[in-house]
Amino acid sequence: MRWNSPLKYVFLLPTVIWVLCFTMFPLLYSLRLSFFRVNIGQKDIFIGLENFARAFKDPNVWNAAKVTLTFVLVGVSIQLVLGLLFALLFNRALPGRNVLRTIMTLPLFATPIGVGYMFITIFHEEGGFIRASLGAKIPWLSNPNWAMVSVILVDVWNWTPFVFIVLLAALQSIPEEYYEAARLESSSQWELFRYITFPILQPSIILVLILRMSEAFKVFDIPFSLTSGGPGIATETFSMLTFNTYRRFFDFGYGSALAYLLLIAVAIIVTSFFGRIRQAYT
Amino acid sequence: MKMRLTATHIILTVLAFVVVLIWLLPFYWAVSVSLRPPSMTFTCKGLCFPYLQFPPTLEHWKTELSSREMLRALLNSSIIAFTASFFTLVLGTPAAYALARFRFSPRLVVIFAFVFCAILAFTAASFGVDWRLALLAAFVIFLGFAMTLGNRFEKRLGNEDITLWFLSQRFLPPIVTVVPFLLIMSQFKLIDTRLALILVNITFNLPFAIVIMRQAFIDLPIELEEAAMVDGASFFGSFYRVALRLTAPVMAATLMIILAFCWNELLFALNLGTLKAKTIPALLAGSASTRGIQFWFVAVRALIALIPPTILALLAQRYIVRGLTFGAVKG
Repeated sequence: MRWNSPLKYVFLLPTVIWVLCFTMFPLLYSLRLSFFRVNIGQKDIFIGLENFARAFKDPNVWNAAKVTLTFVLVGVSIQLVLGLLFALLFNRALPGRNVLRTIMTLPLFATPIGVGYMFITIFHEEGGFIRASLGAKIPWLSNPNWAMVSVILVDVWNWTPFVFIVLLAALQSIPEEYYEAARLESSSQWELFRYITFPILQPSIILVLILRMSEAFKVFDIPFSLTSGGPGIATETFSMLTFNTYRRFFDFGYGSALAYLLLIAVAIIVTSFFGRIRQAYT
Repeated sequence: MKMRLTATHIILTVLAFVVVLIWLLPFYWAVSVSLRPPSMTFTCKGLCFPYLQFPPTLEHWKTELSSREMLRALLNSSIIAFTASFFTLVLGTPAAYALARFRFSPRLVVIFAFVFCAILAFTAASFGVDWRLALLAAFVIFLGFAMTLGNRFEKRLGNEDITLWFLSQRFLPPIVTVVPFLLIMSQFKLIDTRLALILVNITFNLPFAIVIMRQAFIDLPIELEEAAMVDGASFFGSFYRVALRLTAPVMAATLMIILAFCWNELLFALNLGTLKAKTIPALLAGSASTRGIQFWFVAVRALIALIPPTILALLAQRYIVRGLTFGAVKG
C-alpha cells in the first residue's frame, strides 16, 4: 500500500535534524569543553583529562556525590515502600476513592521550586507548621543532618504519589479471579501478596524505580529553593555543584567535566536496566 | 468488591483519609500563611484556620499580583509555555506518526560512519581548523563510507531503536547542555529572550511528545486510515482527517502535560532568562536573596507558581499515569 512512500522521511527528518542540532551538538560541545581550560575572552587550552583528574581530587565533588547518592537511595526507597503501601491501601472499597486518588496526584506537576518554597513555610524554625502546630523545635534547615532529612522529606511528598498511582493502576489490572483461584489453595494474605500481587507488580516497580532514580540523580530545584545547598555544602547535590561551578566561577571546562560525570552515572543506571526499558517502550 | 464493615476495614479507611490529609497539608498551610496579616505570621498557633484564629486578608496577594516584575514573569512564562508546547507537538506528532506507521531501517554501519565523521569534524574544528572546511571534509568522507562500506554490512536498526534514541534524551541530565546552550545562544544574540527559552523547552519535551504520541498512533487501528485511503483520501488526508482527529484527546493531554513541564522549567530559565525573559520559577529563585525569607511573600509566590500546573494536572487526570511513565503504563 502507501505505507512505504518516501513521504515518511518528510515526517521524521525535521525532528531528527532538530535533535542533532539542539541535543547532539551541545552534548559534543560539552564533551569538548571538558577537555579544555576555558577562560572567557581567551583561547581555550587543551589539557586532556586534567579536569577529570581534578574532579577526583576535589573534596566538594566527593561531598556532592555522597549527598546525591544519599538523596537517591534513601529518598527513592522510602517512595517505593510508601507508594506500594498506599497503593495497597487504596486498592479496596473506599468511599470517594477517585477523589482521594486525584488529590494525591496534585504534587506531581507542581513547580518544584514552588514546592521548595512552600515547604520553607512548613519547616521554618519560628513560624513553620511543625513549630507552630506540633510544637516541635527542630533545626530543619540550619543543621546539616536535618537539612538533608528535610530535602528528602520534600522529595518523598512530591514523588510518592507517582509510585502510588502507577502501582495502583497495576493493581487494578489484576483480575479478581486470580485471587479467587488462589484462595482455594491458601488463605494467607501474605501468600496471596507474595505469589500473586508482587510478581504481577514487579515490572511496574522496576519501571518506577528506573524513572525515579534517573530523575533523582539530576535533582536541582528542590535543594536549590529549600536549602540553597546549605548549611555550608551539606545538601549540595551534583547538579547544584556543577551549576555553581559555572555560575560563580565561570569555570566552563571543569563544570562540563563534572556534568559529564553525572551523565555517566545516569547512563550506567539506565543501561543496566536497558532490557526493561526496551520492553516497556517498544 | 463488597463493602464490609469490619474493624480492619474502618481502620484502613481512616488511615487512607489521614494519608490524603497529610498530603494536602502543605497546600493548606501555604494558603493559611498567605492570608495572614503580617503581625500574625509568626504568632499564630495550632492549625491557624482563617476566620477562626485570624482575620484573613488578601493584601499580600494584591501587592504581589500588581507588582510589575510578577506580571512580566507571568506573561513570559505563559508565552514561553504555550508557544513551546504547541511547537513541540507540531514537530513531534508527525515524527511519532511516522515511527508508528512506517518502517525505517537505517543501516547500523551508516550511522556509525555518520557519528564518526561528525566527531572528526568537531575535533578538527575545536583544534583550530576552519569549521566550514572541517564540515565539508567530513561530509565527503561520510559519503565515501556510505557508498563503499554502506552495502557490506547487513545489520539494520528498526523503529524501536529510533524511538529509544529519542527517549534516551529524556534521561539526559539537563545540566550537561547548559553551557553549550549559553554559548550558542550568545552567538546568535538570543540571551535573555523568550525565543531562547522556547527553543530549549521544545528540545527537552520533543522526546516526550514523540514517545507518547507514537504509542497513541500504535493503539489506533490501522484499518481506519486504510479505509480512508481506499475511499480516495490522500496520505496526508488520512493522517490529518483520521489519525489526528482520533488521537485528539491524547494530544490535548500531552499538550497540557508539556505545558506544565515548560512552566516548571528552572535550570535554563535561570541561565538564559536573566531580566527581560524572566519566568516565574526564575523569579522565585531570586526571591530568597532579595527579600530575605519573608513568610507571606514566599507563600504567595509559591502558590502563584503552583496553581497553573496543578490545574493542568487536574485537567489531564486520565492521562497522568501515561504521561509520567512516557506511555509505558496506561493507567
